[in-house]
Amino acid sequence: MSGDTSTTDARSALGAIENRRLQVIEQINVPSWYWIAVAACWLGLGVLSDNAPSWVTIAATFAFGCVHSAIAPRVLSGGEATSQLKVRSELTGRRIRITVLGFLVALVGVTIGLALVFQAVGASQPATLASAVVAALILIGGPFLVGAARRRIAANLRSGAGIPAA
Amino acid sequence: MASASFDELIHASTRLNIVALLSAADWVDFAFVRDALQLSDSALSKQFAALESAGYIATERRLSDRRQRVRVRLTQTGRDAFDGHVAALRAIIDKADDQARSSAS
Repeated sequence: MSGDTSTTDARSALGAIENRRLQVIEQINVPSWYWIAVAACWLGLGVLSDNAPSWVTIAATFAFGCVHSAIAPRVLSGGEATSQLKVRSELTGRRIRITVLGFLVALVGVTIGLALVFQAVGASQPATLASAVVAALILIGGPFLVGAARRRIAANLRSGAGIPAA
Repeated sequence: MASASFDELIHASTRLNIVALLSAADWVDFAFVRDALQLSDSALSKQFAALESAGYIATERRLSDRRQRVRVRLTQTGRDAFDGHVAALRAIIDKADDQARSSAS
């Protein structure tokens, strides 16, 4: 009966619930193969841009966009990074997807800007150099951004759950 | 918001931890729950059986990498019971806080 449950017991139970839910949220992630594949494709497109006819670069960019949009909704939900569980979509929301896609869109601008800078200083392969720098940014910054988004989701759960400290 | 309904079956410490884990996921692998709660297979199976007989969870056996794996999920009945139990726990705390405030003023 709830009448037999003390306030301390109730606080302790809510604390345990919050900890278990956070344990599931810790599993939110984007698999490392995604970052490696995106970085490799980015570099590949840079190399093509410097060395292949423009129609080849355009076709490859289009193919990359198609493949990415086919896999992104599932991979970027963040809830299926492990084979051990699937995090509820109400918890992950669209935060991971928006963060990663925003990051990639920003990197398109960074790539173009860097390529123009390398071209201005007389580099022979400006797009390749720019895309190599951005590929490194993807490998380092991608997991970092997802980690930040995961911490925000956990903070939202703590504040939204209204669970007092045990 | 769920109506407060204290649930004795869920409130037991181990089952509370199990249901809290399941509440944040669409499904969870048996091994994940076992490792997270540091329980033996038989102890966890016993708790699952109690929750399953109440209609709170459902289990599904799947073949993965030539191994039999068990996925567990909270049913809608279980989710409703859990939400009601959390609301009941909050009500206990709110009531105590109100009493403390009124006695202080």
